[in-house]
Amino acid sequence: MMKNVCIIAGGMCAWGVREASLRDMFQEAGKACFDDNKAITNKVIDGLLVASAYTERSAFQTHLAPVVAEYLGIKPRTICARVELLCASGSSGIILAYGLIRSGIADIVMVIGGEKLYMPEKWEVFYSELASVDHDWDGPQGLGLPPPAFAMVAKQHMKRYGTTKEQLAMVSVKNRRNGLNNPNAQFREPITLETALNAKDIVPPLTLYDCCPITDGCAAVILACEEKAKDLTDKPLVYIKGTGQATLNNMSANMPSWTTWEALTIAAKQAYESAGIEPSELDVAQTHDCFTISEIIEYEDLGFCEKGQGGLFIQEGKSDFGGQIPINTDGGLLSCGHPFGGTGIRQAIEIMHQLREDATRQVEGARAALTHNLSGFIAAHTVLIYGREP
Amino acid sequence: MAGLKILEGKYIATMDLYPQESREFNRVYPFYEHLRQGRFTTTRCKGCNHEAFPPRVICPNCLSEDLEWIDLPTTGRVEVVTEEEVGVPLGFESPLIHALIDLGGKLKLFSRIVHCQVGHLKEGDEVKLYVFPVDPVPIQMGRETVLKERVYYAFEPVKKGKSENQVN
Repeated sequence: MMKNVCIIAGGMCAWGVREASLRDMFQEAGKACFDDNKAITNKVIDGLLVASAYTERSAFQTHLAPVVAEYLGIKPRTICARVELLCASGSSGIILAYGLIRSGIADIVMVIGGEKLYMPEKWEVFYSELASVDHDWDGPQGLGLPPPAFAMVAKQHMKRYGTTKEQLAMVSVKNRRNGLNNPNAQFREPITLETALNAKDIVPPLTLYDCCPITDGCAAVILACEEKAKDLTDKPLVYIKGTGQATLNNMSANMPSWTTWEALTIAAKQAYESAGIEPSELDVAQTHDCFTISEIIEYEDLGFCEKGQGGLFIQEGKSDFGGQIPINTDGGLLSCGHPFGGTGIRQAIEIMHQLREDATRQVEGARAALTHNLSGFIAAHTVLIYGREP
Repeated sequence: MAGLKILEGKYIATMDLYPQESREFNRVYPFYEHLRQGRFTTTRCKGCNHEAFPPRVICPNCLSEDLEWIDLPTTGRVEVVTEEEVGVPLGFESPLIHALIDLGGKLKLFSRIVHCQVGHLKEGDEVKLYVFPVDPVPIQMGRETVLKERVYYAFEPVKKGKSENQVN
């Protein structure tokens, strides 16, 4: 008998350029998560999954999960391991915790993830990014930092579908506005369309505000089987309804298409089917807006609009509050920043709040929601669906 | 003083941007030997004829280990260009130019373009393979340390014969 799985607590530390170590931030986020639900203490957690991609490069630390367990006073007995899928490490951890709880192997699991990316000298941050792509084939081409790849995507999407620089900028303006009151976001200042359009080029057509920043940060959630969840929270229960994760290629040369992310369509289909839900039934979503063009393609490949209509979708306000489906309601990567292992968990926290109806910027009556991460050289996609019903 | 000074002069594989290309560390070492000869190659499965890039030791289609080396085109046509002038990682010079290159319909590579200035490379331009030396790797063999030479590749614009401005 498969168990239903709920998300019953979540918290994160302040994200940005932090005067703190990875250990410090894991402690801060763990505490924020326990503080979110006073009925849960570190003593009741039976499993721990730690999501972090760069620990060997930025902290010279492997075997990270027991470090985190020790610092948070958790004594796991069902699982204690690290999960790595670069930008989707956090959401991968949540899928694995979901599977362990659903199958009865674990009951109450903390998934905590984050990165310390800023190094004493900045060159090392950029240099380490070269480890994120296929090391032997894409890395030596200088394709570590993602802007060239996403500029390539944007150019092709603009050419093929008529997407404009204004439409790209509108994503950034929306997400900055959504992040205004998020106390943990890296950026909390609004920007105007004019500011975004006149910003300096990173890799044309992408300007400064089309790109998410480099971020230190950490976030944590606690998942539990429904029976335990009922004892451990008096807030509305939020269930994981379905998941999907797909990859079709890793190296850039094997990308099936740059403007339709086929692995995303596969992951989305898997998630929708396992949740028994249609895209039109979703009330809110957090998608991977590492670049503005990413969010536009995600509207299309997640099935919120027709292929090629992503630019119009933002232009017509359909992804904003009051629109068809508000997206990146906490500010997304463009406001919050992107400490790889933390991002999927940050998204889950926002969705938990939206479905409990206690979010900072609440989507009225939200009952079903989605999170999405892409990772690597647009090489893997991870989709989770949450709801107020199992 | 204790610290990083102990690493001075040491080769650190975990900080090396380029692959371990030698026979001692890599079964697709012929790819790099071919590069030295100006050839751009990959592996084809003798069983199912599947051509994979990058080269493999098993066929990702039928899982056969019976593979052979084949030559890919060394010239290609530019489909899209990206030009990075800020945030170029250590080891590369600004501008860092990349292009999606169609290699004779065989393969689409997203490759670095060298010997090229910002604004010069256009869609439809022809580019050709460019092979350059990379720092050698010191490999301990018995009591000796042997320096293994390395190369890597990028693409460069094909010169359009004599420039129109050129006299004679």
